[in-house]
Amino acid sequence: MKFSLSSRSPTSQLPFTFGAPALIWQVLFFYLPLVLIAISGFVKVTETGDILGMTFDHFLFFLRPLYLKVIFSSFLLAFSNTLLCLAIAYPLAYFLAFTGKRYSNLFLFLLIVPFWTNFLLHVYAWFFVLDKDGFLNLLLQNLGLVQNPTSMLNTPFAILIMMVYYYLPYMVLPLYSSLEKMDVRLIEASFDLGATWLQTFRRIMLPLTKRGLKAGFFLVFIPSFGEFAIPELMGGDKQMFVGTVVSDYILGEETGALGAAFTVLALIFMLITAGILYWVIERLIPGKTHG
Amino acid sequence: MRSVRLVKIKKSFKDGTVIPDVSLNMPAGKFFALLGPSGCGKTTLLRLIAGLEKADSGTIFLGDLDITDWPIHKRPINIVFQNYALFPHLNVFDNVAYSLKLEKLPKSIIKQKVLKILEAFHLENHIYKRVTELSGGQQQRVALARAIVNEPDVLLLDEPLAALDFKLREKMLIELIELQDKLKTTFLYVTHDQFEALTVADQMAIMNHHGEIEQVGTPKEIYEFPISSFVARFVGTTNIINGTLWNIDQEPEIEVSGLGRFKVDLPHKQKKEWMKEGCDAIMSIRPEKIYISKKEVPNFSNSLKGHVQSIVYHGRSTQYNILLKNQTRIQVFEQNEEHFPQEVIDYDHEVNLYWQKENAVILEK
Repeated sequence: MKFSLSSRSPTSQLPFTFGAPALIWQVLFFYLPLVLIAISGFVKVTETGDILGMTFDHFLFFLRPLYLKVIFSSFLLAFSNTLLCLAIAYPLAYFLAFTGKRYSNLFLFLLIVPFWTNFLLHVYAWFFVLDKDGFLNLLLQNLGLVQNPTSMLNTPFAILIMMVYYYLPYMVLPLYSSLEKMDVRLIEASFDLGATWLQTFRRIMLPLTKRGLKAGFFLVFIPSFGEFAIPELMGGDKQMFVGTVVSDYILGEETGALGAAFTVLALIFMLITAGILYWVIERLIPGKTHG
Repeated sequence: MRSVRLVKIKKSFKDGTVIPDVSLNMPAGKFFALLGPSGCGKTTLLRLIAGLEKADSGTIFLGDLDITDWPIHKRPINIVFQNYALFPHLNVFDNVAYSLKLEKLPKSIIKQKVLKILEAFHLENHIYKRVTELSGGQQQRVALARAIVNEPDVLLLDEPLAALDFKLREKMLIELIELQDKLKTTFLYVTHDQFEALTVADQMAIMNHHGEIEQVGTPKEIYEFPISSFVARFVGTTNIINGTLWNIDQEPEIEVSGLGRFKVDLPHKQKKEWMKEGCDAIMSIRPEKIYISKKEVPNFSNSLKGHVQSIVYHGRSTQYNILLKNQTRIQVFEQNEEHFPQEVIDYDHEVNLYWQKENAVILEK
């Protein structure tokens, strides 16, 4: 099958024809600006806008503990967000694909509904939940778990909960589509041959949903690394993340080049971490990629 | 090697009862076939034994052990699934080694066991292939090897040959019989195909559309002495003739309207409770039990005249469809013993049909 299409057959031309508009769009509005930003990070400009030459100063400026810490906290936030999403999304996707199959369309619909309302509305809704006399504190007090209510706004917890809330569907959907393709009888066969739940999960389900898992993992990890709005709105200005620093410098007066340099640094760091994580996932989950 | 005994098993799903009340004994070390029409609940019964479903009530014994509440992975019972359910991300070796790896056996022993069984199944040239690269017959063998490598007490086979073509199926049936003979594991073979069931089984059970067991016995018992018209019709081909039963205590006869009276034997010469003078009954005669000729032939208990309606040539036998005087049709099979039969029977010829009374079966209507 794979090799039966000759290079002249009309179908083999189709992918490029159909892919071209998207490709051109990507090049024009993503790769080209990225290259321009990278270049502007190296360029020394006078106050009047004359180019003086090339420099590494903008990059060296950020090689300080403060900014390395910023990059590290962004990584930590993105990583914990991704793991939390994964932990919540896997059982949910499993439920949608198998147990609740009859209602899976309804559930998927409900999962996507929040995207129809404005992002800021979600944020304000969470304010009400996390505030000192908000819903969550009330609940905890009534359960007797907390005596003195404290505001949970402007804490790392608030940032994380909003991140998980916002990014969860990006994890659920690819996992669901992987699990849905899996034959239930493979799970049954595994039990039948003596495997426990945990063994079946590790040896059968994880390898067979590896593709969906990787897709979900990086769909969540990569954007949450550079996330700007959520830490800004939910975390106050207590802690700086990559997104905050980039926006501060890019929008600041005459600090555009610094912003560009930091963007490039953060990008390089993120690509390296993503690569390492990819490698780790490949090593942790046995079997060739499926589903 | 252990027997499986089902006692008063009941199972319902949301859309209705599947198994109303089944008790069944599958003897240890025997090849047992469960035969029934599609959707009759036989697969559910198999899944109950495996532990993939939970019975509403009733008890499942494995030998003397009550395994009703045992979880699936603890039961020494393995399934060969209809679509094989091979793990697509594992190669042939790892599929077969799956259960052994779970047992945490030493690697050398696993390797030895798996290679031995793969060799026995003629798969030694495919050890490291992905299962998706194999043919249907090879996948079937991998599924079998995977299910018996950890030496289960019972092997359940759920229509395992349904996806194979006829020739391969015949070959696999023989291989299965020989395998069971060698292993002496209790096999339960679930199928809707009477040919498969008759071929493999030491003992078989017939399940009807309502999930009830109609008859249990050897293939021969079931084919020759069906206990109900359902069994007679479902296993093999038969002619069903409605009539009235007379003279039960001396020389029983069945009277068929428009055709006259025919001598019959009561099943196993025993009078059944439902048999009353003048009651309705069914006579079932297998098409191959009828002798067809244009001549007068003596020494048959019964004879009947009819016209040949159509002739179907099957190779080893010829099927004649005969129209009787009362407008019913019956089928007759004749072995094609000679290249040039002495007697040529053709379309629209008038023929005589003969059969011995002991070759017809009387059933309750």
